[in-house]
Amino acid sequence: MRLHHLLRKSVAVLCTTALAASMAFMSGCASPQNNGEKVNLLFKVPRTGHDVVFDDSITQIDQVIRKMADEFVAQYDKADVEIEVEVFEQNQYDDAIANSFDTEHSPDLLYGDYFNMSTYIHSGRVVPLDDVVSIAVRDNVYDYLWDISTIDGRIYMMPYLARQNILAYNKALFEQAGLKDFIKDDEISSWSLSEWTYILDTLAANLPEGFYPMMMYAFSSQGDTHTMTLLRSAGSDFFDETGHFNLSTPEGIAALRWLQDGVDRGWYPPHSENLEIEDCSSLFRQGQLGIYMVNNASIERYDGTVGLVNFPGPDDEGCATTFVSGFEVFDNGDEKKLEVAKDFLRYVYTSDELMDYAAGTLPASKASSERYGSQIEAFDLFNENRKNVVDFTGSNPDTRAVREVFYEVIHDLLMKNITPEDAAATIDQRCNAAIDEGVAASVLHE
Amino acid sequence: MLNRRRYIIIYLVSIALVIASICVYLTQLSSTVNQNLMSTVDEISRHDVESIEGSLDNAYVRLGSVAKRMEVYDVHTLEEVQEQLNLESASSALFNAIYLLDSQGYLYSSSMVRFDPDEHAYDEILSDGREKFVMLYDDANGRLETTKESLIYGIRTDGMNIGGRDFVAMIGRSDLSIIRDQLLIESFDSQGISSVVNDKGYYIVSASPATDLAGRNNFYDMLESGHLEDGVTIEEVRRNISEGESFVINCVTADDERLVLSFAPVEGTNWSFIMAVPTSVFDQRFAPFITMTAGMLVAVVLVLFIMMIVIYNFMKRSVQASAESAARAEFLSNMSHEIRTPLNGIIGLNHLMENNLDDEAAMRGYVKKLGNAAKYLLSLVNDILDVSKLQAGKVELAEEPFDLRVTIDNVCDMQREPMLEKGIKFVTEADNLSYPYLIGDELRVSQVLMNILSNAVKFTPSEGTITITTNQILTVSTEMVATTISIADTGCGMTPEFCEHIFDAFSQERNKISGSQKGTGLGMAISHMLVSQMGGRLSVVSELGSGSCFTVQISMPLDHARLASMPERISGATPVPADRLQGMHAQGASDAASSQGSNAAKLSDVSVKLLIAEDNDLNAEIIVSILEKQGYETTLVANGEEAIRAFEASEEGEFAAILMDAQMPVMDGYEAAKEIRKLNRDDAKNVRIFACTASTFAEDRNRALESGMDDFLAKPLDVPVMLRKLEAVKASLVSAE
Repeated sequence: MRLHHLLRKSVAVLCTTALAASMAFMSGCASPQNNGEKVNLLFKVPRTGHDVVFDDSITQIDQVIRKMADEFVAQYDKADVEIEVEVFEQNQYDDAIANSFDTEHSPDLLYGDYFNMSTYIHSGRVVPLDDVVSIAVRDNVYDYLWDISTIDGRIYMMPYLARQNILAYNKALFEQAGLKDFIKDDEISSWSLSEWTYILDTLAANLPEGFYPMMMYAFSSQGDTHTMTLLRSAGSDFFDETGHFNLSTPEGIAALRWLQDGVDRGWYPPHSENLEIEDCSSLFRQGQLGIYMVNNASIERYDGTVGLVNFPGPDDEGCATTFVSGFEVFDNGDEKKLEVAKDFLRYVYTSDELMDYAAGTLPASKASSERYGSQIEAFDLFNENRKNVVDFTGSNPDTRAVREVFYEVIHDLLMKNITPEDAAATIDQRCNAAIDEGVAASVLHE
Repeated sequence: MLNRRRYIIIYLVSIALVIASICVYLTQLSSTVNQNLMSTVDEISRHDVESIEGSLDNAYVRLGSVAKRMEVYDVHTLEEVQEQLNLESASSALFNAIYLLDSQGYLYSSSMVRFDPDEHAYDEILSDGREKFVMLYDDANGRLETTKESLIYGIRTDGMNIGGRDFVAMIGRSDLSIIRDQLLIESFDSQGISSVVNDKGYYIVSASPATDLAGRNNFYDMLESGHLEDGVTIEEVRRNISEGESFVINCVTADDERLVLSFAPVEGTNWSFIMAVPTSVFDQRFAPFITMTAGMLVAVVLVLFIMMIVIYNFMKRSVQASAESAARAEFLSNMSHEIRTPLNGIIGLNHLMENNLDDEAAMRGYVKKLGNAAKYLLSLVNDILDVSKLQAGKVELAEEPFDLRVTIDNVCDMQREPMLEKGIKFVTEADNLSYPYLIGDELRVSQVLMNILSNAVKFTPSEGTITITTNQILTVSTEMVATTISIADTGCGMTPEFCEHIFDAFSQERNKISGSQKGTGLGMAISHMLVSQMGGRLSVVSELGSGSCFTVQISMPLDHARLASMPERISGATPVPADRLQGMHAQGASDAASSQGSNAAKLSDVSVKLLIAEDNDLNAEIIVSILEKQGYETTLVANGEEAIRAFEASEEGEFAAILMDAQMPVMDGYEAAKEIRKLNRDDAKNVRIFACTASTFAEDRNRALESGMDDFLAKPLDVPVMLRKLEAVKASLVSAE
């Protein structure tokens, strides 16, 4: 058997060698000339669903990344480049990125959510990309995206697309509860805090057993940014001018109290402190929940059964948040890799075709938005609503540390273990301490 | 040749057997190691499966406990039921969500979600009557709240009634990550990886787990990306897993890693536990055995080899000893024959002489024959002694200047008469003897050449030819002269077999041609040993019936002192006719006789007295008779002590010489000589003392000289030599007077 195996292996090696040789010969005609220097880039991307309005074959963002890599490699003539695209799970950012630093598995490029990626900027590993951003590229991307990609005046992330988070309401339940007047089609509504209170009370009073007015959860940190956004309901800006939490204000405490009062007023599913966002998502999908968060990409699945509304506060227009996704380049001590990685981004951001592959949600590219905006679900509504978008990160260098604190406080708040004042003070104290530690530990790449 | 071929065949067959044995052994060893490893794999698999089954049982127990508590809680409405489930779930370390399934098929979640009967299929799982189940969360059975990889446990809760509603099952959902760590077991130094898959090939436990349904990997995809060995198909693997079989397959992954996969079913599930062990682990486990085995085999082979060498040498020595013993026995037989023959002749002649005392003519003939027989006996004894000394390494070669040309001439001269008698043509080609003045042992060189030449004469028939050629080369750097002397004859020649043994001691060929030419058979052995001791080489080329050619090659230092006075070279090959040889010999003999006769006449009137010390009466009588017949006066004593006393008692100068036997009772000759030299009288210092002994070796001569004796007379006494030496003593007395 061993002999047979060796024989078979030898034949396989011969065939492979011959095939490789013939392919090399053939590809030698088609591939661009390069200086022969071999450069291997490791490109990591979290598993993320993605749709493209003009290409039904795309269901995951890593498909787009692979397409970008293939096209770049095919035309690149400065080196013999090979890009390995590695997909990791959403909850394994640290294992995939931070824990792999200084190993052979360290990423050279990362595509992901700013929400998770911004932490790595402060590790000193992420290189500034200002030299990649030409005037044309800068002009083609919305300014608000550049703003949240910039730290200390330098661009560390390249925005590719955005998802705008707002709230959605179940039209049927609204109608069932007697809130027909609040149902609006083809608009993102804005309700004042009193209207919010009225609507929630009405839903609580009129919905049958097993149906609940609004989402609420605090069993884990998942979805906590939406809870943070709700804390702007009474006029709080949430962060102060330095990016620190600033809830120990009348507006902040009022928002916390509004949130806590909702427990007794029946606004949330029972024991919502034990729920996760996916539980509320399931309740909303099952038609058991009146109000839940959505984004411009996810509303399509509800097929017109929901209406859209901004988060409450800080003014009557309400607010929305944006999840931006884009690229980071890591410095692993190899100048050539850095050069090729930046060339990759230059190539992508000057390719209309590749920038257009963001057209399933809100493209970062203005040109792509113009070309495909009409085909993107509710594009105009969300584009118009950009004026209500608020920053939910506050340029926090250690978002994860803050998140670990925040949901626990909300959990206690919902259980009425603490008062709104205590909650505000605890959040401000512990979250700001985490922020300050992050700032102290922050090292930006020169 | 035949034996050698046979030995080679035996050797090759032995090697082949050893190699075959090693192959069989290693195959068996590999099989045993593999079986051992597979037993380990099975053991680990059983342990892991039991661990998994224990974990599952624990989940069922916990779910049952929740069900029991639900029945005692004070809950009445569905919302209260769900709230209670919520609290149970929140306090559970195992379950992320807990569900109750009512008899109508509605599913109520701890997260307050309610699923209609048409939104799930979990009620169907228990429809076959089973009491419990566990399955990998798969939205094909209805999507629950999560998209995370989860396990779904279910237990039947027949009889549970809460608020008037019948609940038939309780279901628990648990993130796979919760139990994955406790089920994932590494073995073989982290090289063996365990995993669990369901019948669809999705991993319940794996080394690289996905956390989301969208990202989960499939075992069959892994198999398809590589290939299976031994003709096993993926369909067979799929069927075996579905049927809960235990089995083992070999596969190669897409990364070209060879794996041994051992499958074991997990009871109560459609899962299969898989232990994946790289074949490199087997190789690594096997490698030490290979090394140890190789080492042991090398050691065994080495020991066997050494034993074979020892046995071979022992056998060789035994064979040689047997051969030598046989040869020695043959030699002794020959010696016995050779010694007895002349002895027989001597005894016979003695008898004839007794009966023919009056017949002077007959007596002369008998006496001559008696002398020949005695000489033959003497040469026989000399050869035996030479061989003994050479074999014992006790022959010391002299390093004295000599003229090789003279040596060769002397040897040739000594054989000219026999050659003349047989009519042999003698050819000398001595013109190449460029450097005749050498330093070496002339006597031994002469002995070697004499042995060869006398043999050539002996075995060359009448009208045959003997040719002697010489050649010399001087190595300037070492100043050594390499001399080659060849003696070729046209005699009977030798068989190739005999040529191989001609230089062995105790060997002697008897063939039809030379059957009558009997000898001791030691001459060539002695010559060979002598040449070897000189650092040279003696070789022979011979053809039966055509003759032989013996070649002596020896290197000796050049005698610089005499090189300057080197005479003319011997001119080229000069055949010497037999008649001329005869004439030369006759002339030489006539000159010698004339000279001897003249000296004898001058000394005949001088009276010389000799002291004879000899313990053997016969020898004493013979020597006294000979000497007195020659006109000497003699005084006979029986030992050394008597010799001293006799000398002391004599007048100063009374004895012209003393013939001292070396070995005598009371006091031997050496001691006696010493004592005589010590005597306080003038003649004690200068009286000529001759050692008379049968011990003829160089050390015996040296010992005699060291003890104060002046000369050496070997026994049996060569009477003419003895008389010449005594005549010299007498002549010195005459000249002194």
